[in-house]
Amino acid sequence: MKKFFALLKVSVKSMLLSSTNARGRSRKKAATGMGAMVLIAFLGLYMSGMYSSLLMSVLAPVHMESLVFLFMGMAALLGGLLFTAFAVKGVVFGGKDNDLLLAMPVSSTMLMAGRVSAIYLENLLFSFFILAPAGAVCAFMTQSGVGHSLLFWARLLAAVLALPLLDTALSVLMGALVAFASAKLTKGGAVGQNIVMALYLVAVFWFAFNLNGMLEGLAADAMGVKESLSWAAPLLWMADGILGDWGKLLAFAACCIIPFVLVVFGLGRVYRKAVTAFAARSARNDYKLSAQSASGQKKALLRMELRRLFGMPMYFWNSCLGLIMLVAMGAAALVMREDLRMYLGLLEDFPRMPLAALMIGFCLSMTVIAAPSVSLEGKYLWILREAPVDEGALLGLKTGFELMFSAPCAAIAGACLTIALELSPLEGAVLLLAALLFCAAHAAFGMLIGLTFPKLDAVNETVVVKQSLAVMLGMFVPMAALGACALAYWLGSMAGPVLAIALPLALLAAFAGACALILAKKGPAMLRAL
Amino acid sequence: MLRIEHYSKTYPGGKKAVDDLTLHVRPGEIYGFIGHNGAGKTTTLRAVAGVMDFTEGTITIDGRDIKKDPVGAKRVTAFLPDNPDLYEFMKGIDYLNFIADLYDIPADRRTADIAKYGDAFELTGSLGSPIGSYSHGMRQKLALISAFIRRPRLLILDEPFVGLDPSASHLMKGYLAELCGHGSAVFFSTHVLEVAEKLCHQIAIIKDGRLVKCGSTEALVGDSSLEDVFLELEGDK
Repeated sequence: MKKFFALLKVSVKSMLLSSTNARGRSRKKAATGMGAMVLIAFLGLYMSGMYSSLLMSVLAPVHMESLVFLFMGMAALLGGLLFTAFAVKGVVFGGKDNDLLLAMPVSSTMLMAGRVSAIYLENLLFSFFILAPAGAVCAFMTQSGVGHSLLFWARLLAAVLALPLLDTALSVLMGALVAFASAKLTKGGAVGQNIVMALYLVAVFWFAFNLNGMLEGLAADAMGVKESLSWAAPLLWMADGILGDWGKLLAFAACCIIPFVLVVFGLGRVYRKAVTAFAARSARNDYKLSAQSASGQKKALLRMELRRLFGMPMYFWNSCLGLIMLVAMGAAALVMREDLRMYLGLLEDFPRMPLAALMIGFCLSMTVIAAPSVSLEGKYLWILREAPVDEGALLGLKTGFELMFSAPCAAIAGACLTIALELSPLEGAVLLLAALLFCAAHAAFGMLIGLTFPKLDAVNETVVVKQSLAVMLGMFVPMAALGACALAYWLGSMAGPVLAIALPLALLAAFAGACALILAKKGPAMLRAL
Repeated sequence: MLRIEHYSKTYPGGKKAVDDLTLHVRPGEIYGFIGHNGAGKTTTLRAVAGVMDFTEGTITIDGRDIKKDPVGAKRVTAFLPDNPDLYEFMKGIDYLNFIADLYDIPADRRTADIAKYGDAFELTGSLGSPIGSYSHGMRQKLALISAFIRRPRLLILDEPFVGLDPSASHLMKGYLAELCGHGSAVFFSTHVLEVAEKLCHQIAIIKDGRLVKCGSTEALVGDSSLEDVFLELEGDK
């Protein structure tokens, strides 16, 4: 057991430090690590608290409180899967320290258990921050008093501890599949991984949309919804178990523990073989050199960024998911414009243009290409530092690289929404301007935050794009800026329609201008200091 | 070619990694830089390459100050760290073209030089494969080729012999001599004292961040061996 805890400690330390810059001073490290934790906690508590109370207000009067735990359990499972499944390939199977640890006198099963347990602890965070607020809501909003007993909290704790086991088992299987695909498809490794990830995301989104449909039908027929969820039996057992059925709680725990143990011991037995197979890539020896062509510095750097984005599926899917959603949203709005207009017609005086701007801004917020850009250089940073490239130009190029993708996608989505929502040409132009200003602000802020909280010693790129503080701030601060713009619109609308539009636009322009100015003035020195 | 004047590097916390170092490398010279682990060799080489900022002193390469005109100075240098990490998502040939583009190397010259060094280091056949599939030695060779195709005025190498097989080491020594024959200079650190003794025109020994001895190899070694001189200066003998 001593060896297991030593291995677990190494994995957990590596994951905890993943959001910090280990080159920084310990106080800064602690602050950035703590900041990342607070951010995850806040997000979990906010989302779960809000949805739990909304659901409970509908379900408590019909004594269907268990559905709140069922849906929150699903949310925790989905959130954990999205957060850790892609990380598994890097953390469990592709760690830089694999050679070192595999050479130690420990069994590969124990090594696997150590790594997987670290993933479990990460999923545990999700489980806790999503189920605990549901428990608190249950204690305050139900009249049966079920949430007031100590045993209720003991059962909730058991569920919180058990659920991440199932999450982890599924994540590890998914990670193994991604690693297997990338190892087998050596010629188009990135393409293979991209296909697996695309299928996975389609499945997750399909599930999420169905879940949304179920939520809509809750008020009308809660019992019917519960019965239709028989395929999610373990989560139903968990929900009933939390509310007092010990037998079902035990059944749920078994459903979580057994897959976890099977994954750890099953994959543990072949861990060494799997790691060797996933890492084995031999160079071919059949290249024939032909005449090479030359291009300029900027083109070379752009091509390098493109190769990185499309050659690293982890980077591509995490950074460009927002853009995919943005274009898909625009296309869907155009295709389903009649339904959309009918739905918006119900909200008589609701301002359509600001709504469209918010939707575009939300998708753009999730496009984090610039924020991890410096951290992704990591061990390769010496190449750019040694090269005769001006630091300011380099930062400008990296910022522009995000804009190269986000601006056209925002323009396409803006045009689609303008047509779908029947906005006037002036409103369309304002929407486009707002979207482009947001793109500029987002890219410049992302670059700035990437320089402020770099993660140059990450074990692999997964850690940078999934867990670094820069990526989290690069996503959530622009979302907060969107909220500020909405507030500015509301305040401006009290004075008149012109001010309502001018205020948020001015706010966005000021945000973009300030970020670009700081980046231009301080950016090169910040890059040199890394 | 390279003038280091009163160079000092102090790390946060006050520890002086290098203290008041002055040395000059003339065109056509191979200059060896030796010292124990943590003596300040890599810190100096990284400062010369413009990869790391420094606290005091000036470093000029071919008349260009690395602090005042970093882009100009870097244009005439090539630096190879002790463990060169190269973009694993690129193919070998893509990396060489990337470097060649950054240094504005014309198409015909780069094709000829890649063929010359690629064939010599027996790497041409593998240039179409991703760098991620290369062995440590292959990466080292690719990094060396990327340095040679720049035809640098100053080549800075940190422990260049680590990871190279004997024939590649032999080839590299030949190319270093060829480079110096064209008026360039080589400034490199090594722990392989026999190589330094045979290869270098000038040698500097650094201890605890301070230069303890420098001069021509003959004058420094005299009738003894570089190993004896080094150990004597290190106080281990």
